[in-house]
Amino acid sequence: MSQLVTQQVLPVSRPELADAFLLDMAASAVRRGLTLAPPVAFIRRIPWTAASSELRTYFAQFGHIRKCTVPFDRETGFHKGIGWVQFSSQGELQNALQQENHIIDGVKLQVLAQRPKVLEGDQTSDED
Amino acid sequence: MAALLRPARWLLAAGASRRLPLYLRLFAGGPGRPSSVSRLTAADVRPAAGVLPSQARLYTIVAEKKDLSEEPPSLKRNSSQFDWALMRLDNSVRRTGRITKKLLQRVFESTCRSGSPGGNQALLLLRSCGSLLPELSLTERTEFAHKIWNKLQKLGTIYDVSHYNALLKVYLQNEHKFSPTDFLTKMEEAHIQPNRVTYQRLIAAYCNTGDMEGASKILGFMKTKDLPITEAVFSALVTGHARAGDMENAENILTVMKDAGIEPGPDTYLALLNAYAEKGNIDHVKQILENVEKSDHCLMDRDLLQIIVSFSKAGYPQYVSEILDKVTYERRYIPDAMNLILLLVTKKLEDTAFQILLALPISNEDNENDFGSFFLQHCVTMDTPAEKLIDYCKKLKEAKMHSSSLHFTLHCALLANKADLAKALMKVLKEEGFPIRFHYFWPLLIAHQKRKDVQGIIDILKIMKEMGVDPNQETYVNYVFPCFDDIKSVRAALQENECLPNSNTLYQAEVRSEALNGNLDSILSLLESNISPFPFNSLRGSLILGFRRSMNVDLWSKITELLYKDGRYCQEPPGPTEAVGYFLYNLIDSMSDSEVQAKEEHLRQYFHQLKKMNIKVSENIFRGIRNLLEGYHVPELIKDVKVLVDTEKIDSRKTPQLTSSDLESTLEKLKVGNQPIGDVLKQLILLLCSEENMEKALEVKAKYESDMVIGGYAALIHLCCRHDNAEDALNLKQEFDRLDPSAVLDTAKYVGLVKVLGKHGRLQDAINILKEMKEKDVLIKDATVLSFFHILNGEALRGETETVKQLHEAIVTLGLAKPTTNISFPLVTVHLEKDDLPAALEASIDLYQKYKILPRIHDVLCKLIERGETDLIQKAMDFVSQEQGEMTMLYDLFFAFLQTGNYKEARKIIETPGIRARPTRLQWFCDRCITSNQVETLEKLVELTEKLFECDRDQMYYSLLKLYKVNSDWQRADAAWNKMQEENIIPREKTLRLLAEILKSNNQEVPFDVPELWFEDDRHSLSSSSASTVEADMEKTVLEACRLRKFRDAFTMFLEAQKQNVVFNSETYSTLIRLLLSKDNFTEAMQVKDFAETHIKGFTLNDAANSLLIITQVRRDYLKVALETLKAALDLEHIPSKIAVTRLIQAFALKGDLESIEAIQKMVNGLSIGLSSMVFINNIALAQMKNNNIDVAIENIEHMLTSENRTIEPQYFGLSYLFRKVIEEQMEPAIEKLSIMSERLANHFALYKPVTDLFLQLVDSGRVDDAKALLQRCGAIAEQTSIFLVFFLRNSQKPKKAPVLKTLLELIPELREKEEVYSSSMKSYVLDKDVASAKVLYDHLTAKNVKLNELFLKRYASLLKHAGQPVPFTEPPESFEFYIKQLKEERESPS
Repeated sequence: MSQLVTQQVLPVSRPELADAFLLDMAASAVRRGLTLAPPVAFIRRIPWTAASSELRTYFAQFGHIRKCTVPFDRETGFHKGIGWVQFSSQGELQNALQQENHIIDGVKLQVLAQRPKVLEGDQTSDED
Repeated sequence: MAALLRPARWLLAAGASRRLPLYLRLFAGGPGRPSSVSRLTAADVRPAAGVLPSQARLYTIVAEKKDLSEEPPSLKRNSSQFDWALMRLDNSVRRTGRITKKLLQRVFESTCRSGSPGGNQALLLLRSCGSLLPELSLTERTEFAHKIWNKLQKLGTIYDVSHYNALLKVYLQNEHKFSPTDFLTKMEEAHIQPNRVTYQRLIAAYCNTGDMEGASKILGFMKTKDLPITEAVFSALVTGHARAGDMENAENILTVMKDAGIEPGPDTYLALLNAYAEKGNIDHVKQILENVEKSDHCLMDRDLLQIIVSFSKAGYPQYVSEILDKVTYERRYIPDAMNLILLLVTKKLEDTAFQILLALPISNEDNENDFGSFFLQHCVTMDTPAEKLIDYCKKLKEAKMHSSSLHFTLHCALLANKADLAKALMKVLKEEGFPIRFHYFWPLLIAHQKRKDVQGIIDILKIMKEMGVDPNQETYVNYVFPCFDDIKSVRAALQENECLPNSNTLYQAEVRSEALNGNLDSILSLLESNISPFPFNSLRGSLILGFRRSMNVDLWSKITELLYKDGRYCQEPPGPTEAVGYFLYNLIDSMSDSEVQAKEEHLRQYFHQLKKMNIKVSENIFRGIRNLLEGYHVPELIKDVKVLVDTEKIDSRKTPQLTSSDLESTLEKLKVGNQPIGDVLKQLILLLCSEENMEKALEVKAKYESDMVIGGYAALIHLCCRHDNAEDALNLKQEFDRLDPSAVLDTAKYVGLVKVLGKHGRLQDAINILKEMKEKDVLIKDATVLSFFHILNGEALRGETETVKQLHEAIVTLGLAKPTTNISFPLVTVHLEKDDLPAALEASIDLYQKYKILPRIHDVLCKLIERGETDLIQKAMDFVSQEQGEMTMLYDLFFAFLQTGNYKEARKIIETPGIRARPTRLQWFCDRCITSNQVETLEKLVELTEKLFECDRDQMYYSLLKLYKVNSDWQRADAAWNKMQEENIIPREKTLRLLAEILKSNNQEVPFDVPELWFEDDRHSLSSSSASTVEADMEKTVLEACRLRKFRDAFTMFLEAQKQNVVFNSETYSTLIRLLLSKDNFTEAMQVKDFAETHIKGFTLNDAANSLLIITQVRRDYLKVALETLKAALDLEHIPSKIAVTRLIQAFALKGDLESIEAIQKMVNGLSIGLSSMVFINNIALAQMKNNNIDVAIENIEHMLTSENRTIEPQYFGLSYLFRKVIEEQMEPAIEKLSIMSERLANHFALYKPVTDLFLQLVDSGRVDDAKALLQRCGAIAEQTSIFLVFFLRNSQKPKKAPVLKTLLELIPELREKEEVYSSSMKSYVLDKDVASAKVLYDHLTAKNVKLNELFLKRYASLLKHAGQPVPFTEPPESFEFYIKQLKEERESPS
């Protein structure tokens, strides 16, 4: 919570102070990371035929999906085979992680626990 | 001390006695098992050259040649570049029988980039341009070879005969038509002597065209030179005669060979077979094949495939199957077959290719990997007709070779942007029942979008329509709209082409798109003009986006009003109050705290406008929003939202603001009147509970017991738990159960019960509650598990062994929590607390046997070592090594020795032969050291692991730097950097960046370029290698000296070179100049720069050197020159570093040179230097004040802060720099006027940031009296808690700030009880070793009965211990890391 206030009064005039501030932020991020990993699964090897709605449909069997993201490359129109699924609790995430095989469109996905980090990319998420 | 020495004695004694554990003896015994293991793996790493398939054979030759090549050993990078290229190409051939053009291109480019490629690299590239590129047409391949040849020659590669021969081979494979005599002339011109291979290949070249005359001419050459004629020549002659149409003579060659004493081998027969195949003579082919079979020779699959090619190329595909029958399909030939298939497709013989593909022995059973993708992909590239491709796909699927052939082909078609093919494939997929998804069309749309081809987009939309796919919002927004100049024209274009969707997706997309651009006015008109009703929900996300991107409150309100009142948007059941309320909630939820803070005023206006529009939200929503606002620290807004609450509804539901006595009297009255009192009674109980009035609540409950309901009991139980009243809690629980045995409490209340019962020794009751939780299936959340841990840990700290054990057992066996390491911690902790080490070890071992976890073994080992409990250590180690392996045990021991400061012993362990790096364990310990700030321990770890096998040194130093960064210890960081160079470590980019950050944030110059320095030097020593050796050596010496940062040596060598008029590469000068500048040798640096400028045309410094130059010039007070440097750099579109520009601006400001600052402002306007505009505001003001224009400066600042359209929000408007400088420079009139200004801003505009900043700067610079006076005049300063918190947090990181913080606390004593403040203060006191102040703080807090957290106590205890003073409380036993984590968890857990 101290971090909230820090943000508010960021002095931007002195570079060295700004750096010290970043350091502070980083330290608090580290502290936060120690305890609070959001229940996010990092998905790799998503077949090209599937996008976020397919992922969402599939992973709904393990729990309530809060957010599901599969970033598309705006240069090619394809995604790069990776995505993130955020569940509402660690338990649900564990459900998903414990299942050995995850198959969408006949392709086996790689499902990993996301390292403590903010949910990435929101360009094509199907949040509602 | 004795305790510390004991383990050492044990270890040393063990070396001689039989107490040395078996594994240690094993390791110590010289070349034992472990070292042989490491040898084995080293051998594995080598590329297994012997098992390459035939196509790749040539690579092994290249690889061998590599060893013999005469590359100077110094060109290390060159050789690693070669290894990399070889590995890439080799892998590709091994796996797929080919090299793709893309891969070859990439390897080629990277080879070029590496500087001057060696001969072996050239050979590798040239040899890849033949049959290994089956996907390219023959002419393309040869063009590629020529491109490589010319480019490498330009880069200085020296060609020898092997290169010419390689080129010839490529010509032959590519059927390239060329003149052999011209080729020989060219070789002659290059003074390259042709050898036997050259002549053989030239003969083959003549023979391929049937030119027997030419062939004989070359043969003549060979004879005069007395070169042996080999089978290869005869084979070529067979082909030659055949191509000339003379089969008889072709056959005769075999006899000639025999006469010459050479037995025809497979190659000759193959030539003959191919000759007949080209003629379509299957009978002869079969006959020869039979003959060959009878003889000792044996044709390989590869040869048979060759015959197939000949048949198909000559137009006799009908014979292919007969040859295919003879193929044995050895697996190792599959890459060759793949190569052939691709070649056939390139030659438009895809049917034959497919025939071979189907015949390949791919095991269909396991069907794990699809086979045939390469074929389908290449067919798509070669524009094979759609019908044919679809047929192949279906057949591949039937043959179970490829499970998703259609999808794969569609993917290829989309990648290649073949819309017609894609459409055909999608049709088939649809027929087969597969869904067609929106995003299948995106690649097609993107292609048109890039060209802004509206018609193309429409065509794709038509296909979508045909396929029955309605584009979704995303499709429109991301892929359709960008093609149009204006969103409004989209609808018209779609209508015209009959592509309008049936649903209202297009509307939604329009809204979203406008929202993305913040065009709220367009959204409003869209919503007004829209006729079809649709739900608000579908717009919510977009509207929130739009609202956040626009600051037009009127539009916010108008849109909200429209949605609230218009029947089109809020038709669904919950109604407008819910929908709009939920929208408001989401709007605020989606904003960050700083955003809400920044837009506070806007939001306030918005809410009030909504109120005027008579828009209402429900109580629930209000509560949600209130919680959000509290979380954002903007409680001031709550009252503004409150006005929206639908008061009528509230009135009907409950009577607000009733006091407990009101309720009590109502209750009395009802009771007397014999009316039902249940509701009021519950209300009263709840109210009393929320007032934490347990006594009264229990009293009321006793009085009206018969009317109590479940809800009332639940609240009471919780209340009693909170008040540590186990007795009543349990009684209430029993009454609760009697009232309704099936009723369930919520999780937190159960946990509360368990806690209080356990604490009061009612173990069985506590366990019964746990059982009930299980039976009633109470929801267990992550937080619940955490609470269990805290209960157990609390008991452990109280030393309640039995309680911990039984509760843990119950929790785990009931399955309420998994037996993780964390939750089992307390089982060990309880013994450690009591200092009962044998029991602690026993508990840990016991847990391992039960659950395979070993909690706190590190802590147990540390304690054992501290006590010198050798027997127990032995026991622990025996156990660990038996269960988890010797390596784990060694690491456990190593870390324990390190932790306890027994470095000698630690070294012995880590030097055990055979031990190798375990990155995760090392990282674990590094992280532990970082969180608990153990500098010495971590330094020792890094030092001791220097020789550790496979240790990632860069990673180790990275961790070390991370810790230095926490402590802002740039001196140690700099020392670490030197050690890294000593160790010859090549740091990763992130390490360099971290190091640079540390130096920069401590105002030190970064003596290297982030991050290219290391590579740069190598590259330049390479590119200069072609120069004469003396010059090259000089340049190398300079670079080497630069790398070692020996600037004097480097400069001396430069002078030497200057004398001899030797000119280096311009980057070398940049590097040298940078080094000289970083060592503050300005004159020398300028000398080098002048020389470079006069000798190299267009010489310019790179960004890093330029920035450094500016900084040095500033330091030397050459400001005008520095400004010119900056201008010149910017003119060349160089971007100097932020710090360099800032320094320059600051220097001008102190000189009062306003003009120059404004000039810089103009120059850097719009550049991405990352300068904040505050830099200019502060320094312009400072410059003006230096010129005695104080009033102008102040007026400007005030204007910026108070004007309507201010660009910087007040909370970011930091004037600290200005204040500090003015104070430092003792500009009294300015200080006074600034003070007046700040107070005015505070009093009239409620802008407290400036006055608070000024106050802090006064305190910081020791002008306490002024600060005090200011505080007296402007009391609101004391309330700017958030600014103070930041000040405390930031300054507690810096050394020598303890007095400042102390003064601040004296001035504003109420700060002292803020947790952040007293924590930071303690941190600072510890950093500055200010025991007295720490003591005062501690006494103050304990006197005030503030509950201090363990981290605070731990810090204080460490300070006291360091000063050799007694600690007046039990020092928290865990590590700093543990308490930091615990603190965090407590804050997050809801209770």
